[in-house]
Amino acid sequence: MTKRIIWTSIVVLVIAGAGIYWYVHTETFADTKDRKAAFTVNAHDFIREFIENGEAANARYTDQIVVVNGRVSETEMADTTMNIIMDEPNSGSFIIFAFQQQYLAEAKTVKVGDSLSIKGSCSGGIFSEILEVHKIDFKRSTLESHYANTNKNVHTQNNQQ
Amino acid sequence: MKRTLLALFLVTLTGSLFAQKKTTTSATVAFDATTAIDALPKAENKTVVAALDTRTGALAFEATVKNFTFTNPTIQQHFNGASWMDSDKNPTFTFKGKLTNLSAIDFSKNGTYTAQAEGTLKVKDVEQKITVPATIVVSDGAVSASSEFSIKLADFNITGAAINGGKVAKEPTITVKADFK
Repeated sequence: MTKRIIWTSIVVLVIAGAGIYWYVHTETFADTKDRKAAFTVNAHDFIREFIENGEAANARYTDQIVVVNGRVSETEMADTTMNIIMDEPNSGSFIIFAFQQQYLAEAKTVKVGDSLSIKGSCSGGIFSEILEVHKIDFKRSTLESHYANTNKNVHTQNNQQ
Repeated sequence: MKRTLLALFLVTLTGSLFAQKKTTTSATVAFDATTAIDALPKAENKTVVAALDTRTGALAFEATVKNFTFTNPTIQQHFNGASWMDSDKNPTFTFKGKLTNLSAIDFSKNGTYTAQAEGTLKVKDVEQKITVPATIVVSDGAVSASSEFSIKLADFNITGAAINGGKVAKEPTITVKADFK
C-alpha cells in the first residue's frame, strides 16, 4: 500500500514537473494590444518626469504597460525594422519605441509630425552618456491610434474616438 | 570684412568637425546563448545608441538592458533578475573604444572595409578590454558598421546552474549593427 502511494506520488510529480517545464518553455508574451495599460501619459510630461526625478519615474513606469500620446519627431530604421521617436524639444530628451513584429507594417506608415497613441512595455529611462540627454525605451509597442499630420489623411484608426 | 570672413571660417570649421561624429539611436545588438538543449536564451535590442567619429575612429555603444526582447517571459525575467544582469542596478551595457585601423577606411569613398575595434565593454558593472572584428560600409555618405563576436560570461562574473548545466552557452555570440547618420 505504502509502495503504491510512493509510486503514485512520483508519477504525479513527474507529470506536474513535465507540465511546468513545457509551460515555461512554450510560454510567449501576450500581444501588447490585448494588455491593459497601467498608465496613459502625454509624451512631453512623461519625459519631464524622467528629467526631474529619474529614480522615481523608473520606479513608477519601468516594466509597466504604458500608453503614450504625442507627436512623432523622428522615425529611424533599426536594421530591417523601424523605431518611432517622440522628443521634448527643449531638452532634446526622447522616448523611443520598438514595435512588435506583427505591427511593423503599420508602424512604417507613420511620418514625422503625425499624432500617435502608442502602447508598449516601458523598459525605463537612462541618461545617455553618448548623447547627453535622457532616453526612455519601449519594447513590444503597438499603435493604438494614428492621426496623420494633415486632417484630410487619417490612415490608421484603432480605438479611434 | 576680415572679422566676418574669420567668423565664417570658424563656423564652417566647427560644423565640419561636428559632422565627423555620426550617431544613431536605433543600432541593434543581439545575443545568442542557445545550446543544444535550450533554444530560448537569445534576445535582441533595437534601440541601442551608437556613435562613430570618422575623424578619430572613436566608437561607442550604449544599450538599455531591459530593452532586450526575448520570446519567453520567464527567460526575460531571469535575465533581468538580481542573480543575472541585475538590470535595476546596472541599467546599461556600454562599449567605449576606437577603430584601430582607421587609415584603412576611406569614409569619403564608397566601399566595404574590414575593420578592427578595441575598447572596454561594461556588462553588469564589470569592465573588460575586448578586440573585435568589424565591417564598415560606406555608401554615398551613409556609414554603417557591423560586428559579430563572442564573450566569455565568466569574464563578467556571470555564472550559475543554467550555464553549468548546459542550458546557457558559456560564450554567447553577440551581433551588432548600426546605420549611422
